[in-house]
Amino acid sequence: MFRLLLLLSLTCPAIASEERAREIIDEMEQLYRGDSSDATMTMQVQTPNYNRTLTMTAQSFGKDYGFFRIQAPKKDRGIATLKRDEEMWNYFPKINKVIKVPPSMMMGSWMGSDFTNDDLVKETQLIDAYALALIETEDEYKVTLTPREQTVTVWDRIEYTISKDPLLPLSQAFFDDDGEKIRELTFHEPKEYYGKLMPSILEMRPLNKEGHLTRIMYDDIKFNVPEITKDTFSLRNLKSRF
Amino acid sequence: MLTFQIAFRNILRQKRRSLLTGLSMTGGYMLFVLGYSILEGSYGNAIDIFTLDNTGHIQIHQDDYLDRPKIYKTIQNRDQVELALTDDPDVQSFTPRVFSPALAYAGDRTAPSRLVGIDADLEPTVSRLLQKVSKGTYFSSLPNTDGYYEAMIGRGLHITLKLEVGDEIVLISSGGDGSIANDIFVVSAIIGNKTSFDRMAVYLPLAAAQEFLSLGNDVHEYVLLVNNKDHNEKIANELSAQLPELTVSPWQKVEATFYRTMQADRQGNYFTMGLIIFIVFIGVLNTVLMSVLERTREFGVLRAIGSRPMQLVRLISLETFIMAFISVTVGLLLILPIIYWSAEVGFLLPEPIDMGGIKFQHLKGEMSARIFWIPMAFILATAVLISIPPGFRAARILPKEAMGSH
Amino acid sequence: MLTFKLAFRNLFRNTRRTILTSVLISASLIVLILVDGLMLGMTNVMIGGITHTLEGEAQVVRKGFRNNFEVEYTIDDPTSVINQIENSKAVEGYGPRVIIGGMIASSYNTTGSLVYGVDAQQELRVSRISEAVIEGRYLSGGSREILIGKPMADLLEVKLGDRLIITAATVDTNEITQELFRLSGIFEFGPEEMDKNLVFINLDKAQSVLGMKGNLHQIAVRFIDPEDAKNPELPLFKQLTNEENEALGWLNLQPSIGAMIEMSSYATAIVGTILFLLTSLGVINSMFMSIYERIYEFGVAKAIGTTPWQIIQLVLFEALLLALISCAFGLTLGYLLGDYFSINGIPMGKMEVSGVLLDGNLYTQLALYQFVNFPIYVTLLTLAAAIYPATFASRIVPTEALQRAL
Repeated sequence: MFRLLLLLSLTCPAIASEERAREIIDEMEQLYRGDSSDATMTMQVQTPNYNRTLTMTAQSFGKDYGFFRIQAPKKDRGIATLKRDEEMWNYFPKINKVIKVPPSMMMGSWMGSDFTNDDLVKETQLIDAYALALIETEDEYKVTLTPREQTVTVWDRIEYTISKDPLLPLSQAFFDDDGEKIRELTFHEPKEYYGKLMPSILEMRPLNKEGHLTRIMYDDIKFNVPEITKDTFSLRNLKSRF
Repeated sequence: MLTFQIAFRNILRQKRRSLLTGLSMTGGYMLFVLGYSILEGSYGNAIDIFTLDNTGHIQIHQDDYLDRPKIYKTIQNRDQVELALTDDPDVQSFTPRVFSPALAYAGDRTAPSRLVGIDADLEPTVSRLLQKVSKGTYFSSLPNTDGYYEAMIGRGLHITLKLEVGDEIVLISSGGDGSIANDIFVVSAIIGNKTSFDRMAVYLPLAAAQEFLSLGNDVHEYVLLVNNKDHNEKIANELSAQLPELTVSPWQKVEATFYRTMQADRQGNYFTMGLIIFIVFIGVLNTVLMSVLERTREFGVLRAIGSRPMQLVRLISLETFIMAFISVTVGLLLILPIIYWSAEVGFLLPEPIDMGGIKFQHLKGEMSARIFWIPMAFILATAVLISIPPGFRAARILPKEAMGSH
Repeated sequence: MLTFKLAFRNLFRNTRRTILTSVLISASLIVLILVDGLMLGMTNVMIGGITHTLEGEAQVVRKGFRNNFEVEYTIDDPTSVINQIENSKAVEGYGPRVIIGGMIASSYNTTGSLVYGVDAQQELRVSRISEAVIEGRYLSGGSREILIGKPMADLLEVKLGDRLIITAATVDTNEITQELFRLSGIFEFGPEEMDKNLVFINLDKAQSVLGMKGNLHQIAVRFIDPEDAKNPELPLFKQLTNEENEALGWLNLQPSIGAMIEMSSYATAIVGTILFLLTSLGVINSMFMSIYERIYEFGVAKAIGTTPWQIIQLVLFEALLLALISCAFGLTLGYLLGDYFSINGIPMGKMEVSGVLLDGNLYTQLALYQFVNFPIYVTLLTLAAAIYPATFASRIVPTEALQRAL
């Protein structure tokens, strides 16, 4: 009896901490989304072979719907990506074609950046697909996400570091089966957008390739935009220029 | 020289015997040469099939593009390279190429493809692409009247995407600057057949491919043909010294698996050649030995009238050498046109062999100096060497015994 | 029989010449046996390599599948097909397979691949996948097991136990599906195209991930008698080929290999002809020499009333005897050598081509016809070569012959 109580008292904080971790992650995920969002951003891609800067607009609704449309440079203006649940489509205005992203492109890079198409589709699954463990320090929360048995991912674990005050993400580190950190997403320069404080700069750095960096800078972002509904995210809208 | 005159007269004296011996050696020589030519020629054939189809004799790339192709590994100093190639007397022809994996779309069907940008004019000087056009016409490097560039597609794409000549094909790929390359092209021709290595290729004019992939004026590869393919590796080394920042690879490296397999196969052929040589050797042995030993009585007479042993040995060797030389020369004159024919036209095979869209029906022999002089040297050397021991024996035998033998 | 005794005695009057000629004839026979044995051995290695490594001696597929490998082309009524195969007495083993193109990704890299879903146990009797595994273990039915080639493992920078994701489109709904695997084995077949591109997973896993509901793309078959695979009239082929499916032997699946084998046997035939001609020359030479030196005797024989026909018979009989003795010797030595080389390989040095597909050495292979047909050819050849000398001998004019002293 005594031993059982001891056991219970030992596991309870663990359970409690898993739930707390869930809450924290959920809040972080909501940070960039709200119920719906409308943003303009600049994406810089640096590689040893080229540097590219794109400006684009991005809309989202809930976790499953997203639109990205390139505004600049002129050559790529109008190229757009539609994401619905687990499916993705690209639109190319020059040839006026909508192309569904096939499996062979899923693991490829999105728009030439260090994010993959797969990242865009999967970014919202952190909570459901992973087991969470929380460690608290004085200033930070460190959540270690370990994929569940059925989860399909190349990462052995992800470490999510969040500052306590203000409650903002600091970094996501992705580890392979050997425990080596392969890539890292860092968050910088919190700014206020319409009363909401969030990091304005995201940097994705692959650590196994030298000289690669993708930086996303939010120029503007609005949340809970009434004009954006689920129906906004249609193939027809993909083709129109807004 | 007296010995020489005597040798010659001896040969002419025994016409039938000399003729038979001579014929034997002539025949042996001719057949040796023919066998050699065919065995070596079959490799020449196989190599040509590969190298003239696409690989070329030598390829030039940036860095390790050959092993790990990446779109940004480009050759940028094109003028320098092309100058070096044009000036090089060993280089017969060359052409630049550009590559990228691409997704091909037609209607709602999609297939992974390989984009190949080629110089419409130079490419046929290096590969057989022009002959592989099975439907439609070989494209031009200029856009068509509607402003679209033309593309030639492999048969695999024709089947999978159900594309015909005149249809539009959409290509999506990644540009060298990271952008997403996307454009529409019009199919002008279908290339090869189902087993061709390029059945999933899309050929575009070089300039169109460079623009599509945002490569500027850069290319990924130069392919060259050399005048003398036996010196291939040497020429590749020389070019490598001239172009130190680039990687120059002979076809033996580009098609390493095929090369290794061929070398392995060659071992088998060397064994067969060895057996042919063995038979020729026995034949020469047979004839020379017999003709020397049969004349023991004759030599006995010579000894009896005062010839010294060494004179006899010299005489015999000289006779044999002259016989062999004449036989081989006659053989050479007779076999020369046959080998020439076999190298140019070749033996007709009962059925054509299809190698990825190109049909072969001729087994060709090799025409080169070595298939003539190696057998010649072998027969001459063998004949003379074989004649020496029995010559010594004949020279030492006592005249009385010799004349008693029959 | 008088002729027999005479022939025998004549042969051994000049033992040396007889031995020399006999050596020539038996050498030809030995060479024929060895060359044929080598060709046979090489051909078998090649065929075996192709059919036993992965493709199988025969396959059952949906008509149209071989054109473009499209995933919708599954075998019609697979259960019935498998039943028929299992009931066939000609079949040694069969391997049901699912084949689909997909992307494979690790934490480091991603690349395209051809994924084979196979039944681990069944494959053991049809292909050599398990022999190709160099690290880790062969498949055993575990759901996350995956085998990839060494070059692919290097490209993806993974070692045993690491995560791999395969992304493909489902067969039934054409939706993107992804599945997680843990690297359980690394293989090396030898040829790059196989090691760089192929991936093996368990059949039921493949079927479930791809939404295939028990369907198959290909059934590879191995026969108890490999010759069955070459027989287009085989009952099993006829049974299984209908409007939807086709059952084909490897000759149809890989016609270019059949063509190469034909070219190879064509080359052997030429080499054989060359050998025969060389031998004939030697035999003619030898027979002439022997007749020549017995001209006096022949003259006497004719003078006392021997008919030309009897002389021809005698000479031919000598040739026959010579041939038989030589063949006896040649067969024995040929068998010993052939047997030795079939076990130890020919002495041409090892090759670096390793892997399951091509063995290191070249082996000869013995076959009955080598020991029955070839001696017959050689004997007939010897007889044919003796005809001219025989007729010459029969036409000797006694008065001229009796004048010859030498």
